[in-house]
Amino acid sequence: MVWLTLRQHRMQLLAMLVLLLGAGALLLFSGLEAQGYAAAHAPPGCPGQQDVCGEVNAGLADRYDAVYLFVGMLPLAAPVLVGAFWGAPLLAREYEQGTNKLAWTQAASLRRWLTVKLALLATAVTVSGLVMSAMVSAWLPGFREAKGDTSFANAGVFSMVGVSPAVWWLFAFLFGAASGTVVRRVLPAMAVAVLGVVTVTFVLFNLRDTYAEPVRLVTTHYETALDRGAMMKELTWLSPSGVESALPPFDVCSMPNTQRGAIEQETCLFEKGYQRVFYHHPTSRFWRFQWTEAGILLAGALPLGGLTVIRTLRRRN
Amino acid sequence: MTPALEATGLGKRYRGGWALRDLSLAVPEGRVVALVGPNGAGKSTLLHLAVGLLDPTHGTVRAFGEPVRQAGVAFMAQDKPLYDGFTVAEMLRFGRTLNPGWDDDLARNRLAELEIPLRRKVGRLSGGQQTQVALTLAVAKRPRLLVLDEPLADLDPLARQDVLRALMSTVAESGMTVVFSSHVVADLKDTCDWLVVLNRGRLQVSGDIDELVAGHRVLRGPVEAADAIADRLPVIAHERTDRQATLLVRSAQPVPDPRWHEHRVDLEQMVLAYLRDPGSSALPRPALAALGKDDRPWSG
Repeated sequence: MVWLTLRQHRMQLLAMLVLLLGAGALLLFSGLEAQGYAAAHAPPGCPGQQDVCGEVNAGLADRYDAVYLFVGMLPLAAPVLVGAFWGAPLLAREYEQGTNKLAWTQAASLRRWLTVKLALLATAVTVSGLVMSAMVSAWLPGFREAKGDTSFANAGVFSMVGVSPAVWWLFAFLFGAASGTVVRRVLPAMAVAVLGVVTVTFVLFNLRDTYAEPVRLVTTHYETALDRGAMMKELTWLSPSGVESALPPFDVCSMPNTQRGAIEQETCLFEKGYQRVFYHHPTSRFWRFQWTEAGILLAGALPLGGLTVIRTLRRRN
Repeated sequence: MTPALEATGLGKRYRGGWALRDLSLAVPEGRVVALVGPNGAGKSTLLHLAVGLLDPTHGTVRAFGEPVRQAGVAFMAQDKPLYDGFTVAEMLRFGRTLNPGWDDDLARNRLAELEIPLRRKVGRLSGGQQTQVALTLAVAKRPRLLVLDEPLADLDPLARQDVLRALMSTVAESGMTVVFSSHVVADLKDTCDWLVVLNRGRLQVSGDIDELVAGHRVLRGPVEAADAIADRLPVIAHERTDRQATLLVRSAQPVPDPRWHEHRVDLEQMVLAYLRDPGSSALPRPALAALGKDDRPWSG
C-alpha cells in the first residue's frame, strides 16, 4: 500500500523534492555569499546599526530583497500548488478515471487504502513544510542587522518560518482532497482548491494582527523604545490634552509636503507635547501567533479531513 | 448450499429515482451467469451493489453467505479501469499488494500466453489487451465470485472471442462463479448456464438456462383458440394474423390440443419477449418466497 501511494504520487513527491532542493540551494548560496560580502566589506564595529555600517547593510538588504522575490511568493504559491496538485487529484482522479472501482474492490479495504494514502501524503507534506521552515530560518539571521527581524512583522516571512509552512501545506492538502471528493473531477477540484486556499490565505493574513490584544506604547523616542521587528497594528497621535487621533493636527505645526518635511513636522509636534501611540505586537509574541494560526488552520483541516473520509467511505453513488 | 450470490429485497435509489427495486434472487455456486437487460435497466447498479461499491437503499446482498466486501469477490468495471501511467508489471504489483490471495504465476503465465509485454505502459496497450490485463487482475486474485460489467463492450469481434475464450478456460480450471452483464444476448448464449433478466430496475427472469428453455414453448395455431390458451397459461408474447396466432407461453408440459404446433424456444427470442413485456416474469420459487417474506406485508 505504501508502494502504491508512492507510485501514484511520485510526480508530486518529486516536484516537492525539487522545490526543497532548489530553495535549499538558493538560500544556502545566498547565505554564504552574504556572509562573504559582509566579511569583505564591513568596517570595524559592524555588524550593527551605526552609520558606518550603512553601506554594508544596504548591500545586504539588496541581497535579501533579491531572494525575497522568491521566498515571498511561497506563502501563497506553495499551499496553492499543494492543494491543487497533491490534494485535489487524490480522489478526484480516481473518480474521474473510474479507477476507484478497481482500487476499492480489492481484498484490502477501502478504509485502509484511504488511511494509508491520507496519512502518508499528509506526513510528507507536513515534513516538507518543516524542512522549508528550517531552511528559511537558517537563512534569515545573516540579514538581521540589515533588515531587522522580519520573521514576525513581515507577513510573507512569518508564513515561511516556525510551524507555519507545515500547517499551511497540510491544510491546503486536505482542502484539495475534500474538494476532490465533493467535485469528483480533477480540473474543477483543482480550481476549487486554488480558490479556497487563496481565500483563506487572504482572510488569515488580514486577521493576523487580531490574534492578540495589541500593546499600546506611547513615546517620542520610538527608535529605541519600539521593538524592532514588532508587528504594527495601528499608529496614532496623542495630543497634550490626551486626545488620540489618526492624523496629526493641521494647525499646530506646518503641514509637510516632503519626507524631510514629515520629520520636521514630527519633531515640531513632539516639542509641543504631542506623542505617538503604537498599537503593536512585540516579537516575543512570535510563537504565540504561530500556534494561534496553526490552531486555526488545524481546526479547519480536521473537518476537511473528516469530510474526505466520510464522503469516500459512504457509497451512495 | 449457500448461494454464491443472494439478494433479498434489494433496492437502490439515486437522486433521480429508483435504479433498482425489490430485487430478490439466488444464484448457485459454480454457475456462469448472464445478466441481460436493455441500457438503463439497472445492470451496473446491481453489479456495483454485488461487489460492495454501492450500499443498497433497501435490502441486502450477500456472497457465499457473507457481506460482499469480505467474500472474495473480484470485479471488472465497464470501462475496464486501469492506471494508465502504470506498466503492466506495476499493475500486477498493485494486485499483489492489495490481495493476500494473489497468484502471481497465474497472472504472469496468462499475460505471457496473451503476449502482453509486462514493461509496456497500460495506456499504450490496445483495447483488447487492456481488457485482458483487467481480467488478469481480477482472476489472479483467485476470487470465488467474479463479476464483470459488460466485459465485451468496445471490443472488435476477434477480441471479443479471445476474451471470452480466455475467460472460459480460466473459469473451467478454477470453478469460480461468474456473473457478467451484456446488452447483447448473442454474446452469452454459448457460455452461460444461468440467466438473469433485468428490466426497468426490476427482476424479470432468474433461472437455469436449460430449465428456462424447457419451461417455455412457442405455440402456433388457430387464432380463435388463442384466448383459451391464454386463460390457462402465462403468455409472454403473442403475434396474431387473421387466422393464425403465435404464442410464447411458460409451460413445462406440452399442450394437449392437436390444433397447436409446438416449437422449441430460442434463448434470444425468449429474452426479447420478456424485455418487450416488463409485466411478466419467470422467477424460481425461492426468490418469490423471499420477496413475499420481506416486502409484501399483505401476503402474510
